[in-house]
Amino acid sequence: MDFANLSAQLNAGAILPEGIVIITLLVTLVWDLIVGRSSTKVTPYVAIVGLLIATGTLFLQWDTTEPISFLGSFNGDAISLIFRGIIAISAAVTIPISIRYVEQSGTSLAEFITILLTATVGGMFLSGADELVMIFVSLETLSISSYLLTGYMKRDPRSNEAALKYLLIGAASSAIFLYGISLLYGLSGGETRLSAITASIISNGLDESLGLVIALVFVIAGIAFKIAAVPFHQWTPDVYEGSPTPVVAFLSVGSKAAGFALAVRLLVSAFPLVSDQWRFVLTALAILSMVLGNVVALAQTSMKRLLAYSSIAQAGFLMIGLIVGTDAGYSSMVFYLMIYLFMNLGGFACVILFTLRTGTDEINEYSGLYQKDPLLTLALSICLLSLGGIPPLAGFFGKIYLFWAGWQAGAYGLVLIGLITSVISIYYYIRVVKTMVVKEPQEMSEAVANYPEIQWNLTGMRPLQVSIVVALVFTSLAGVLANPLFNLATGSVSKTPMLQATEPMTPVVSQAPEQLPMPTVESVDL
Amino acid sequence: MMSTQFPWLTVLILLPLVAALPIPLLPNKYGRTVRWYTLSAGLIEFSLMLYAFWQNYDLNTPGFQMVESYPWIPQIGLNWSLAVDGLSMPLVILSGLVTTLALLASWQIKDKPRLFYCLMLVMYSAQIGVFAAQDMLLFFLMWELELVPVYLLIANWGGQNRLYAATKFILYTAAGSIFILVAAFAMAFYGGDFTFDMQALGDKSYSVAFELVMYGAFLLAFGVKLPIFPLHTWLPDAHSEAPAPVSMILAGVLLKMAGYGLLRMNMEMLSDAHPYFAPVLAILGVVNIVYASLTAFAQDNLKRRMAYSSIAHMGFVLIGIASFTTLGVSGALLQMISHGLIAAALFFLSGVTYERTHTLSMKKLGGMAKQMPTVFALFTAGSMASLALPGMSGFVGELSIFLGFTSSDAYSTTFKAVVVVLAAAGVILSPIYLLSMLRQVFYGDASEAVAIPGLTDAKPREAFIALCLLIPIIGIGLYPKLATQTYDATTVALTTQARDGLSTIARQPMLDIELPFMAPTVLGTEAQAHLVD
Repeated sequence: MDFANLSAQLNAGAILPEGIVIITLLVTLVWDLIVGRSSTKVTPYVAIVGLLIATGTLFLQWDTTEPISFLGSFNGDAISLIFRGIIAISAAVTIPISIRYVEQSGTSLAEFITILLTATVGGMFLSGADELVMIFVSLETLSISSYLLTGYMKRDPRSNEAALKYLLIGAASSAIFLYGISLLYGLSGGETRLSAITASIISNGLDESLGLVIALVFVIAGIAFKIAAVPFHQWTPDVYEGSPTPVVAFLSVGSKAAGFALAVRLLVSAFPLVSDQWRFVLTALAILSMVLGNVVALAQTSMKRLLAYSSIAQAGFLMIGLIVGTDAGYSSMVFYLMIYLFMNLGGFACVILFTLRTGTDEINEYSGLYQKDPLLTLALSICLLSLGGIPPLAGFFGKIYLFWAGWQAGAYGLVLIGLITSVISIYYYIRVVKTMVVKEPQEMSEAVANYPEIQWNLTGMRPLQVSIVVALVFTSLAGVLANPLFNLATGSVSKTPMLQATEPMTPVVSQAPEQLPMPTVESVDL
Repeated sequence: MMSTQFPWLTVLILLPLVAALPIPLLPNKYGRTVRWYTLSAGLIEFSLMLYAFWQNYDLNTPGFQMVESYPWIPQIGLNWSLAVDGLSMPLVILSGLVTTLALLASWQIKDKPRLFYCLMLVMYSAQIGVFAAQDMLLFFLMWELELVPVYLLIANWGGQNRLYAATKFILYTAAGSIFILVAAFAMAFYGGDFTFDMQALGDKSYSVAFELVMYGAFLLAFGVKLPIFPLHTWLPDAHSEAPAPVSMILAGVLLKMAGYGLLRMNMEMLSDAHPYFAPVLAILGVVNIVYASLTAFAQDNLKRRMAYSSIAHMGFVLIGIASFTTLGVSGALLQMISHGLIAAALFFLSGVTYERTHTLSMKKLGGMAKQMPTVFALFTAGSMASLALPGMSGFVGELSIFLGFTSSDAYSTTFKAVVVVLAAAGVILSPIYLLSMLRQVFYGDASEAVAIPGLTDAKPREAFIALCLLIPIIGIGLYPKLATQTYDATTVALTTQARDGLSTIARQPMLDIELPFMAPTVLGTEAQAHLVD
C-alpha cells in the first residue's frame, strides 16, 4: 500500500494543522541545534508563522464533510476546529510575550518554544480526540509539557516549587481520569471510540449501572483539574504565582480551552446516559468556581494570584454554557473563550511587561503607573475591565451571551449567581485600575518611581509591545464588532453533528416553567 | 423599521465617543488644547442636538420619533434601536446642556486632563444613549457604560474620601443594575416571541404576578440610582466627594436616568403593576422628602447638604409618578428637568466656593457675601429656585405634583391628605436648610470664620455657567409652557395608559395576589368618563 493511498484511507488531511505545528516544532529544535544560541533571532518568528499557518489551514477545513480520520480516533469537526484554533492562537500570542521574559532569565528560548509547541500539539489533538487512548495520550502530552514549562526557570525556587506541585497534583488527577476511562472501557465491553461507547453500554444492559456514574465522577475530576474548577483548583494560585508568567498565560487560556474541548466532547458523546448527573455536578462546580474564585480574588495582593482566582471564576462563567447544553449555550461558551483568549493574554502581557521593568508583581507596586507608562496602564485597565464585563468591551458581550443562553435554557439560578459574582469581580478588577490611575505622584510606589525608561529596541520588546496593542485593540473592538465572531461560534456548533444530536438540559428551576418557555433558535435568528 | 432620514440620534451618541478617541494623541501645552478641543466637541454636540430636534421633532406627536433601528448582534437580539419621545427628548437636551456646561466648568482640572476629558465625553455619550435607547439590552449597555467613567472621575479628582465614595457608588449601582438585566431577560423570554424591543415588550401581556415581580426588580434598580430612601446612602458620599463638574452631571443628569427609567419601564411598560405599586411609590416619596430634608439640616458639609436636598427633591418625582394624573406626571418630569438645572447650578457654585476657600465645612465659612457678591447673588438665586420660590422652575414642578396628586381619584382622601401634608412639611423644611446654609456661608461676620486672604469674586466664565442654568430656571418658572410643551403630548398618552391599568384592576375586584400595601380606591366609571373629556 503506498503512502498516498494509506493517507487517503486514514483521512490524514484532518490533522494537517497539527502536522504543521509538529514540523514547526522540529524546525525550531533542529535550527537551534545547528545555529546555537543566536537562533533566538529567528525561531520565535518561525514558530509564530507556523502556528498562524496552522490556524489558516484550520479555516480551510471549516466546511469539511469528512471530519472523521484515523479510523475514528480523531474527529476534525467544526467545534474541534474552533478549539484547535483557540489553542494555536493562544500559543501564537504566548510566544511573542515570552521572548523577552525568557531572554532576561538567561534560559534557552528555543527549548522553551519547543516545549510550548509540544503542549500546543497536545492541546490541539485533545480537542479533536474521539477515542479514549487518543484522549489520554494527547492529555498527557499537554500535561507533561505544561509541567516542564512551569519549572522552566530552573534557578528560581518558586518555579521549581510550582512545577513540583503541578506535577504531583496533575499526576494524581491524570490517574483518576485514567481510572474513570478504564471503567468506561470496561462497561462498554472494550469499546474505545466515544461515539460507540454509549451504544455498547446500552446493548450490554449497563445503562443504569453505578459504574457509569463512578466513571463520570472520575472523568469530571480529571477535566475539572484541567479547567481549574473549584474544588479542583488548589494548584492554580500556587502554580500561577511561581511559574514563569508567559507559561501562566498559556495555561490560563490554551490549556483551559483544551480542557473545555475535552469536556464538551467526552461528556456529550460518551455520557449522554447520565447527562442529568453530569449537568448537576458541573452546576455545583460552576457555582463554587464563580463564588469562590471571585470572593477569594478580593483578598489577593499579588497580581498573578489575582489573575489565577479570576481565571477560576471565568471558568465558572464558561461552564454555564456547557451546562445548559443548548446551541446557544455551546456557542456562547466558544464565543467567550475566543474573547477570553485575547483579554486574558492581554492582561498577562501587561503583567509581564511590568514585571520585566520592575521585577515585581505586587498589586501595590502598580501605584501611580499612569504617570510613567500610560500605554501599559490603558492596556491593562481595558483587559481587566473587559474581564469584569464592563461595556462596551468584549467581555461584556461575552458575558451577556453566556447569561442570555443560560436564561434561555432556564438556568435562572446559575445566571443570577453569575451576575452577582460579576458585580463582586468588578470590585477587584477596578481596584487594580484605581491603583494604577488614581494614585497621586507622591503616593507612587517605589517600583514605579524608579521605573526605567522604556527601551523598545531590546530583544523581544517589540513583539511584546505588538501583542499588547493587538490584545488591546481586539478587547476594545471585538465586542462592538462581534458579528463575525458570533457567526463563527454559532457556526461551529450548528456544523457539529455531535452537538446537534444531544438534547439540551431540562430546566432545573421548577418555578413556573410554562411562563418562560424556551424560544426556538429559529425565532431568535431574526 | 429602517428609517430613511439622517440618523441623528446615532450621530448624537457616537459623536462624543469618537471625539474622545484622538484626545490621548493631542499635544497639550499648559492643558489648554485638550480643554478647548473637548469644549468645542461638547458645543458642537449640543448645537447639533438642538438643531436635530428643532428640525425633526414634532411636539404634538405623543409616540416615538426619529426612530432608527439597525440589527447589531442578531444572535442575541441586540438591536441598535433609538428613538425619542416626550419623556426622553427634554432629558436629552438637559444632559446636553448640563454636560457641556460641566465641560466649561472643569477649567481648573490640571491633573491628568486627557483622561478627565475622555471620561467626560464617554459619559456624555452614555447619558444620551440611556435616554434614547429603545432596546432593553442597549439601555442596559448604556446604563453600565457610564459606571466606570463616573467611578474614575470621582476616584481621581474627588475630595478627601474619594476612593470610598467611588467604590460605594460603583458597587451600589452595579448591584442595582443586575435587576435591569434580569428583568430584561425575563420579559424578553416571556411568552413565545422573543424580543428586547421596549415597545414590543410593553405590548406583551404578562400575568399580573409576573408584572409585579418585574416592577419590583426595576424599582430596586432605579431606586438605587434615583435614590429611594433605604438605598440612598451612596449618594451623599458620591456627590459630596466628586469634583464640581462631575457633581453637576451626577445630580443634574444621572439621577434623572432613574426617574426616566421609572417612567419608561415601570409606568409605561408595566402599567398593570403600576396601580399596585403606586401607593408604595407615594409613601417612599414622602419618606424621601421628610427624611432627606431633616438629614440635610444636620449636615455641615455644603455639598452633603445639597446632596440630601437632591434626595428630597427626587421624592417629589416619586409622588408625581404615583399620581395617575397628567398634571402629576408632567410635574414629575418638570421637577426632574428643573432639579437637573438647579442642582447643577448649586453644585457648580459650591465648587466655585470650594476653589477659593478650600473647605466645604460651613462652620469655617462665613461672611463671604462682601467679598464675593456675584457668587452670593447666584447662589441665592439657585437656593431660591431649589426651595421652590414662585417664579422659578422648582415651584412649578412641585406645585403641579401637589395639584396632580391632590386631584388624583386613585387614592382615598385620607391617604392623599397624609401624603400631601407630609410632603408639604418637606417644602417647609427646604427653606430652613437652604436659607441657613446661605446664612452660614455668606452672611454674618467674616471675622468669625477662618480668614481667607485674597478671596476673589466669580470670574466671567463662572458667572456665565451659572447664568446659563439660572436663565432656563427662571424662564420655566415664569412661562412653564417652555418646558411642558416638549412632553405634554407624551405624558397625556402615558397617563391614559396608566389609568387603563388602574381601570383593569377596577374591573377585577377579586385579585389573585396580596396587595403589597394598600389598594388604591379605584375611580368609578363616571369619574373616568369625566376624565377622558
